[in-house]
Amino acid sequence: MKWIGALFIIFSTTWLGFYFAGRLSERTKELRAWKLALQSLEAEVMYSQLPLQEASRRIAKQLNGQIQLFLIDFANQLETSALSAKEAWKHSLQEYAEKVAIKDSDIQVLLQFGETIGMHDKISQQKQIILALKHLEREEQEAIDSQSSYERMSKMLGVLSGILIVILLI
Amino acid sequence: MEEVFNVLPTMLKEKLIISFSDLNEVEELRLRVSRPVEVIANNQSTFLPYIVTEEDGSQILGKLSQFSIYTIEEELKKGYITIKGGHRVGLAGRVVTENGMVKMIRDISSYNFRIAKEKVGIASPFVKYLYDGRWKNTMLIGPPQAGKTTLLRDFARVVSQGDHVRGIKPQKVGIVDERSEIAGSVKGVPQYTFGERIDVLDACPKAEGMMMLVRSMSPHIILVDEIGKKEDVDAILEAIFAGVQLIVTVHGYSLEEIRKRPSLQPLFQNGTFERFIEISNYPRPGNITDIKNRKNISLFSQKAVY
Repeated sequence: MKWIGALFIIFSTTWLGFYFAGRLSERTKELRAWKLALQSLEAEVMYSQLPLQEASRRIAKQLNGQIQLFLIDFANQLETSALSAKEAWKHSLQEYAEKVAIKDSDIQVLLQFGETIGMHDKISQQKQIILALKHLEREEQEAIDSQSSYERMSKMLGVLSGILIVILLI
Repeated sequence: MEEVFNVLPTMLKEKLIISFSDLNEVEELRLRVSRPVEVIANNQSTFLPYIVTEEDGSQILGKLSQFSIYTIEEELKKGYITIKGGHRVGLAGRVVTENGMVKMIRDISSYNFRIAKEKVGIASPFVKYLYDGRWKNTMLIGPPQAGKTTLLRDFARVVSQGDHVRGIKPQKVGIVDERSEIAGSVKGVPQYTFGERIDVLDACPKAEGMMMLVRSMSPHIILVDEIGKKEDVDAILEAIFAGVQLIVTVHGYSLEEIRKRPSLQPLFQNGTFERFIEISNYPRPGNITDIKNRKNISLFSQKAVY
C-alpha cells in the first residue's frame, strides 16, 4: 500500500516537472510561428497588397495550432464586427493569450504592433512589421535560453522532488 | 446604394433611409467632418440633421480600405476611391507632398460619394444618328454632372451588344478608363452590365491607353472620357488613322465653345468627328439638347427628355 502511494507521488511531481518544461518549449515554438506569420504578412502587404483580412486568411492556411485560430478569428472580426483593425487585433490577441504558454512581454510586443496595424502606407507598414520582428527575435532568443537552461532542470526537479517527498514520508 | 451603405456608419444609414423615400434619386452624398450631411438629389441639395464626427470619418476610411491603408495608397494619391458597384468616393483633406508631387491625403475631412447610375437603354434613341453602316466618330459635350459618362457607358453597351432591330452587329469595344468611372472597375473587373465584347484598361492614362488598345486589342471602337490635352488629341488622330472609330466626351457647354479650344483644333481641321451630342444638366441631368453633324447642322430639333 505504501509503495503505491509513493509511486503516485513520484508520478505526479514528475508530470508537473514535464508540464513546466513543455511550457518552456511551447513558448519558443509559438514565437517561431509568429515570426513566420509576420514575415508572410510583410510579403502580402508589400507584394500582393492584400487587405488585412485576406492576408490573415492566407497566412492562416500556412500555419497550424493556436496562431492559426488567432488569424482566422482576427479576419472574422474584421469582416463581421464594427471594430477597427486595432481593436479587432487586441480582442483576438486576448483570447489567444489565454490559450498559449507565452509570456506577457511577448504579448506586449504583439499588442504594440497591433496599435498601428493597417493605418499606414506600405513602407511604414513594412517598417512596423520589421520592428515587431526584431522584438520577437529578442523574445525568442530569451525563450531559447531559458528553455535550454530550465527545461532539463524542471524535468529533473520534478522526478527528484517526488523521490524526496517519498523518502521523507517513509 | 447597397455598396455605399456598407461603408457608412449605421446611424447615418438609418437617418438616410428615414429621410429619403427614393434613394435612387440620390446623386451625391457629401460627408464633411463636424458638419451636417449633404445629400444631392435631382440637382437639389438637402442637409440632414446628422453631424459627422471624426470617429465616423475614420470608420468610413477604415471600411473603404478594409482597414488596410496600404491597399489604397495609389487612390489616396489620386484623391478618390472606386468602390464596388462603380461608385466613386472623392476625398479632400490635408495633402502631403513630396518633391512637389502629391503623396497622399491625410486627415481626410470631406468624403464625396458620387453614386454611379447605370441607366441601361438611354443611348438607344440616338443610335440612329450615330450609326450608318458603321459607327461614326462622336463627341459628347456637356458640363460636369450632366450625365456624359452615364451616356457614354450606355453607348459602350449598345456597341458591344449590337442592336438586333437595326441589324447592328456586336463589335469589339475598348475603353480607356483613366478615372475608373466608365466601367467602375474594382480590381480590374468592370462593375457594369456591358456586353460581352468589352476590354477595359483601368486607371490608364488616356493617350497611352488608346495606343495600347490599338496595338494590342484590335478594337473596332474606342471609348474615352474627358479628352482635352494635346496628347489626347494626338492619340485620337493616331487611332483614327489606324481605322478605329471613337466615342469621346468633352467638358463644355456647346459645340461652338469647344470649337474655339486651341488644344482641340486638330480634331476639327481634319473633320474627324462627324457627330456632336450636346448634353445639359437642366432641367435634369442627361437632357440631350442637340445632335449636330460635321457641318454644324442640327439633326435633331426636338428635345428629348428621358
